[in-house]
Amino acid sequence: MVESTVKNQRNLFQRFNLEVRDHMLAWQQAVLIFGGLLLGLFLSALMLVVAGVGVSDLLNEFIISIFTSSRNINAVLLLSAPLVIVGLSAAIGFKARFWNIGIEGQVIFGAIGATLIANYDIGPDGFRVLLMGLVAALFGMAWIALPMVLRLKLQVNEIISTLLLNYIAFNFLLHLLFGSWKDPITSFPNSKIYDQFERLPKLAGLDFNVSILLALALVIIFVWVLAVSRFGFVLKFVYSNSKMAKSIGINVGVLVACAALASGALSGIAGFTISASIDSRLTQSFFVGYGFLGILIGFLARNNPLLVVLFSVMMAILMVAGQTLQVFYQIPFSMIQLIQATIVICVAASEFFIHHRIRLVK
Amino acid sequence: MPPTSVVGQLDPAVKNTAGFVLELRNIVKTFGTFTALDDVNFNLKRGEVHALLGENGAGKSTLMNIVCGLYAADSGERLHEGEPVWISNPREAHALGIGMVHQHYKLVKPFSALENIQLENGSGPYRTSLNRIRQKATEISKIIGFEVDLDLPVEQLSISEQQRVEILKILTADARIIILDEPTAVLTDMEAENMFTAMRSLAATGCSVVFVTHKLREAFSFADRITVMRGGKTINTVLPNQLDVTELTTLIVGETVVESVNRSKNIGDPKITLNEISMKRNNGVNAITDLSFQVRSGEIYGIAGIGGNGQNELVAILSGLRKIDTGSIELNDVGRVENATPIELRDLGIVCIHSDRETYGLAYGLNIAENFSISGVLAGEFGSYIKVKHKLIHEATELAIEAYDVRGVRTLNQKAGLLSGGNAQKLVIAREFSREPSIVVAHSPCRGLDVRASSAVHEYLLKARDRGGAVVLISEDLDEILLMSDRIGVMSGGAIVAEFDAPANRNEIGKSMTGHG
Repeated sequence: MVESTVKNQRNLFQRFNLEVRDHMLAWQQAVLIFGGLLLGLFLSALMLVVAGVGVSDLLNEFIISIFTSSRNINAVLLLSAPLVIVGLSAAIGFKARFWNIGIEGQVIFGAIGATLIANYDIGPDGFRVLLMGLVAALFGMAWIALPMVLRLKLQVNEIISTLLLNYIAFNFLLHLLFGSWKDPITSFPNSKIYDQFERLPKLAGLDFNVSILLALALVIIFVWVLAVSRFGFVLKFVYSNSKMAKSIGINVGVLVACAALASGALSGIAGFTISASIDSRLTQSFFVGYGFLGILIGFLARNNPLLVVLFSVMMAILMVAGQTLQVFYQIPFSMIQLIQATIVICVAASEFFIHHRIRLVK
Repeated sequence: MPPTSVVGQLDPAVKNTAGFVLELRNIVKTFGTFTALDDVNFNLKRGEVHALLGENGAGKSTLMNIVCGLYAADSGERLHEGEPVWISNPREAHALGIGMVHQHYKLVKPFSALENIQLENGSGPYRTSLNRIRQKATEISKIIGFEVDLDLPVEQLSISEQQRVEILKILTADARIIILDEPTAVLTDMEAENMFTAMRSLAATGCSVVFVTHKLREAFSFADRITVMRGGKTINTVLPNQLDVTELTTLIVGETVVESVNRSKNIGDPKITLNEISMKRNNGVNAITDLSFQVRSGEIYGIAGIGGNGQNELVAILSGLRKIDTGSIELNDVGRVENATPIELRDLGIVCIHSDRETYGLAYGLNIAENFSISGVLAGEFGSYIKVKHKLIHEATELAIEAYDVRGVRTLNQKAGLLSGGNAQKLVIAREFSREPSIVVAHSPCRGLDVRASSAVHEYLLKARDRGGAVVLISEDLDEILLMSDRIGVMSGGAIVAEFDAPANRNEIGKSMTGHG
């Protein structure tokens, strides 16, 4: 009975054996992840073709028209900047195992902070934008401070508390926009439009908004802090084994607090970037999608700042091209979300093969 | 498959009793460029208890993982009851009656013991299969003398009871070849003996038992045959009465390792004094009660005692992770330090080698250079807050792994978790000792280490002592305490209940460990 269940003739399925992998070289991991990404893009393209977009149209909308029209390039860069910043925000939190799901709330509060400065004309005109950015960072930090303290002092799970604070932030925004901050001229529920010197400018001589440079500067700071500074070195231990970190003398609580505050500050700055470069005012829905896109980008990039830039630009292209598809090909917006999800699943699934291998048994 | 009970296997008519139940020939297994098993031969007789001995990294676990289908061999033959077989996953191994208990138990903690067994062996409706398995597991427990409450959640069971659940799991699946990977690593002597007695009675019913170990004593006391592995090869298969401890050790390590007593010649002034310290656990019960002792420079103070008598808490206190409620801790040239943080204690020259290396010793997910340099980075030895100097780190790490003989390092960027136990411990010691600590607290520093690595660890402790340091050695292994200590304290119920000067009488110490002197 036992002998009959195992035969020397094996079918194809039995010849594959799943094993745990010891380790994988960095470049192999990179190849694997890009393989997953390509597969995701291929499947996405397939879905769009099935939905009625021709192959040549697809190439045209996603590649040719994006990269040949300076208007489209600008649109992509304008959208990329806040995406990069929320991506960094998610990444710095993840690096300390602080799961900041409240990026959206901090984006809202950052923009509220910036608008406060703009509305009440605080500070000299020449430094107004700078002050708006700083206050946005402070407001973002303030909005993450509560969940951070709850987590560090009372072990309250930050996933829940940061998530729920999103709704409070949103309703507070509505309270302002339908109340005292209502546009005094049109009476629409958005803040009065920023003055010219309260907006992030286009660079003199160049066509694009300064926001992308702000985002890249933050990327450089991020790289420095995590890869070069002592903070980054020590933070790796907090991530990898916090008990060991404590016993070797690292003040884990302080490090997690710093990372969480940095995450909140970045989200706040992202909120400021959106309202000062895209909308030029505080609107009801300026923040929609940024929170979860930030988490998604942080996840896809595995907290690597350079990959954050790459995936942010990709998402921005998807959004810009998606708008065209919606208008000219009647592709519903949910299709764009489906594409995002497909890419995430493919990249996430590729992670399985970093830890496992399939061997063919001879 | 018709149910076959353990009793059923007593049937003398079982076929093929003379030959090997399992035979492995010329097994080769590589991981990337690393050859873990190089032309290995192994065989197992019906009804025997077989010890697989070897150092860390000799390939014992890899070999057994091939037997139970977790790994596929690159080449080689496997014969089961004389017939060639393929085993490419644990399910197929099950079907052949091969079951393995891994070193780290694979149990679902909130489930009851019975449900865990069912999870692996259940079929059909939940209730029916639960009842069937309860009946079978109870029957088997009776035969081999296991006592486990099958209805308790696994998390409420002790380590040795959890191991019994694992063994019952494979026996309920009609296993006739039972593989135990380092079964005694987490057991006390008493528990280990009970476990082996059960395995012997199992062997008497016709099952075959393989246990992987690096403890010679176990192999001598409980095995019918011993197979020795070294460096991915099988060296020899011997009978326990054929050779003595030294000969067997030589087979295992390829050279003779004999540790001898080396008492301190230069004991100086007191370095650290613990004065009637007490500490409550979170549930309000005292973990440490009025514990006092003093260690002098140039002295190893051994703390003997059965685990769970406050040793973990004492280490946590001495490393600054826990605060005491009453009492004082004094360093003779500094003053009282009971409120110092971990980093302050380190800066005062106190280092700890924790028994749980995976949790407190190393960050397994980070690389060797990072794990080595972290304490230096915190102390500002490798650059400033703004910039960590990775080049300095690499140079220092290279020197240290050379000086402390950390082996198996292919590159400094390799994850620390890939090091074998002995080499991982050497890495911890390299880090802690590189700053010449004046007080060393070592808690079971040789747990899970083979003979050679243990003797190296002991060597470093002796060096720290001879440099004028004070060493506190906390261990459940009385042999280790007797070998190393200049003075011995016995810990029981959270206090030092007796003290002995070396050389001490083993029985006296044993008595005070169990009966409060």
